[in-house]
Amino acid sequence: MRRSSVSVIVVVFMIIALGGLAHGQVLNIAIPQDPDSFDPVKTVAAATSEVAFNIYEGLVKATPEGEVVGALSSHWTVNDSNTIYTFYLRDGAVFHDGTQVTADDVVHALNRARDPEVAVRAGELSMIRDVRSIEKGVEIELYEPNGAFIYTLSEVYASIYPAHAADLARNPVGTGPYYLQEWLPNQELELRRFDQYWSGEKPYFEQANFLIIPDENSMVLNLKAGRVNLIPRLEMTVLHQVENDPNLEVLSAPMNLVQVFSINNAREPFNDWRVRKALALGVDRLAILYGAAWGHGTLLDSALSPSMANFYNDALHEVNPYDPQRARELLKEAGHENLKLTLTLPANYPLHVQAGELVAQQWKALGIQVDLQIVEWGTWLERVYTQRDYDVSVIGLAGRLDPHAILVRYTTNNSRNFFNFSNERYDELIALGLRTVGSDRRAVYLEAQKILAEELPGVFVMDPPQLAAMTKGIQGWRSYPTYVVDVASLYR
Amino acid sequence: MKRYLLQKTGGFVLTAILVSILTFFVIQILPGDPALLMLGTEATPEIYARVRMEMNLDKPVLQRYFGWFADFLKGQWGNSWRYSMPVRDLVARAFPLSILLAFLSVGAALLVATPAGMFMAARPKTYSARLISVLTQAGLGLPQFWVGLLLIQVFAVNMRLLPAGGNSSYASFLLPTLTLALPRAAILSRFMRVGMADALRQDYIRTARAKGVSSRAIFFKHALRNGSLAVVTVAGLQFAQLFAGTIVVEQVFGLPGVGQLLLTGVFQRDLPLVQAVVMVIVFLILLFDLAFDLCLGLLDPRIRYE
Repeated sequence: MRRSSVSVIVVVFMIIALGGLAHGQVLNIAIPQDPDSFDPVKTVAAATSEVAFNIYEGLVKATPEGEVVGALSSHWTVNDSNTIYTFYLRDGAVFHDGTQVTADDVVHALNRARDPEVAVRAGELSMIRDVRSIEKGVEIELYEPNGAFIYTLSEVYASIYPAHAADLARNPVGTGPYYLQEWLPNQELELRRFDQYWSGEKPYFEQANFLIIPDENSMVLNLKAGRVNLIPRLEMTVLHQVENDPNLEVLSAPMNLVQVFSINNAREPFNDWRVRKALALGVDRLAILYGAAWGHGTLLDSALSPSMANFYNDALHEVNPYDPQRARELLKEAGHENLKLTLTLPANYPLHVQAGELVAQQWKALGIQVDLQIVEWGTWLERVYTQRDYDVSVIGLAGRLDPHAILVRYTTNNSRNFFNFSNERYDELIALGLRTVGSDRRAVYLEAQKILAEELPGVFVMDPPQLAAMTKGIQGWRSYPTYVVDVASLYR
Repeated sequence: MKRYLLQKTGGFVLTAILVSILTFFVIQILPGDPALLMLGTEATPEIYARVRMEMNLDKPVLQRYFGWFADFLKGQWGNSWRYSMPVRDLVARAFPLSILLAFLSVGAALLVATPAGMFMAARPKTYSARLISVLTQAGLGLPQFWVGLLLIQVFAVNMRLLPAGGNSSYASFLLPTLTLALPRAAILSRFMRVGMADALRQDYIRTARAKGVSSRAIFFKHALRNGSLAVVTVAGLQFAQLFAGTIVVEQVFGLPGVGQLLLTGVFQRDLPLVQAVVMVIVFLILLFDLAFDLCLGLLDPRIRYE
């Protein structure tokens, strides 16, 4: 009697366990904040692209190596003058609502993305003259050759969705390996595997939940307690809490973010190259790497991160070595031995604030009087970024797949050039780089980076690490040079 | 009574309008532009102008305020800039959670504080009373985020008994409730002790004692009713405060309550969202205040509504 009741219990438990298996594999991912909108042409928050990468696809998509490969287009060809791209659509690609992907959908989505009346980032696709549907795909005609064009097609704003879709902001319809099942603001986003995905390969996890946990300490505790399996972007301040936990694993990769002490090149006395050079030689970047980032991260000599391997100039190490002696001489030469400057720090970025506090000490050692000013993010954006009313500041500039998108910032008339940097040769090179297609681009951008290192719009410090913390057993993590979490590549 | 209610309602409307004006203009004055905050370091003048237009920020301030006011009265609360969804949906999801949490934590606090305070008043010189007093001191002094993290560490990470966060089960409310109840119980028990001690010194207690009423009846009937007035008032205030959300505890436990909503709204200068949340908070607090006034009258018949 007793024995049979035991076996009944065992059987019941086995059924429950099997039921659990049948329920499918679930991955819980912790992110600090909600997306803003899933309408590809309206979204501006980085938090959106992180999730949207799994839902939407463009004609092409980014790879972890920083290349682009076909997504909804199986392949493409370019005409001899490099102005007409022909994309061939994949057979059998369907949207999450079950409808077939047609060339008309592509034309509609791309036209909407470059319509300044609707799309926030319409300007980024302004190189397109016309998009037309052809028998097996679409043809995109450019005004002139453009080396950055193919990369822009991998951005969220160039995602493809059905022409009949309404209310994309909350109900995205894409072609990605996952679709959005539910979005509970401040709580979670539930993604489900899309079983009609064109590749035919099914990702391991049937369900992926992005849990919103704003506090970094509680993120870590949730990981340790097993409620969360993956933190894609762990704050460095809590790294020590996970490092020695045998059940957890932390993978580090460059974030493709350029931390830079920006110098207001238009303002006295920083318009004097010797003063900027003195500031650069007075920065002990290694000390900042250890002091602010616990030694994680990559030192930078350029405005590009080494994660942009195809374009990064790795021959600039000796341009600005730490040399306080020479820095003092330069200040003396320029007649600014008693230099005073205000260092404006954005309060919401502990990494930048710490870097700023460290550099203040290093510059004080040169006899410079440094006045630290810590401001709230909104104030920073208004005063430093928009009005350019500052001496020196520090910020991280997010990388992209294509060097042009990053480097164009330093051209004379660019609206994002809050450095007020101006160099004629540099402007020429950036214009040339955009017109150049193929392998010749590299040489152009190598020279452009050299100019930035020598002429100093600011002092480039480091690319902080992107730390992905996960429970042991989660495999297949791929870190991208863009702001994404690739759920489909993960398995247990 | 009628006049009282009329006066209250008048004050009610006036307060609501005043608060709406204040919130609206404070957000205007705050440095940092909502469009700029959304765009960050990728903003260009064209994108910036475009986003501002979508937020209606290119219109004059007064026109925007009156436009908002009219829409609000009509029940059109607009779309949140940050979440791209109707503000009403966001509000409707966040408030029930915060109100539930407020009920649970003030309830739990009262459950512990009432007997503890009574005990401290009744037997002030005993070691147990002193121990309780020390504990309340600690309860007051410990920062909430630390208590919350500690509770998660012990009950979720080490013992694996309770969920580390979220609101998917009833069990997940246990730790946040405990975190919120702890400092509140500490305060309430102190008010309870002082109130009881004070009541026990009153003339009517001496009279009752002289008349031969049992000390048990004196303590639980005469003294308790008078001594708990302050506790009820403070508990009411705590409750009203918790309506408005608890930013720290919501952040630590990942709860989608009012505090988080409001914090995100303020950080992003999400005007439609902040305005609506603040208005609902004001409305709830005023309503609660009225109900609370009427309740106090039940407890203390000397209170008159005039």
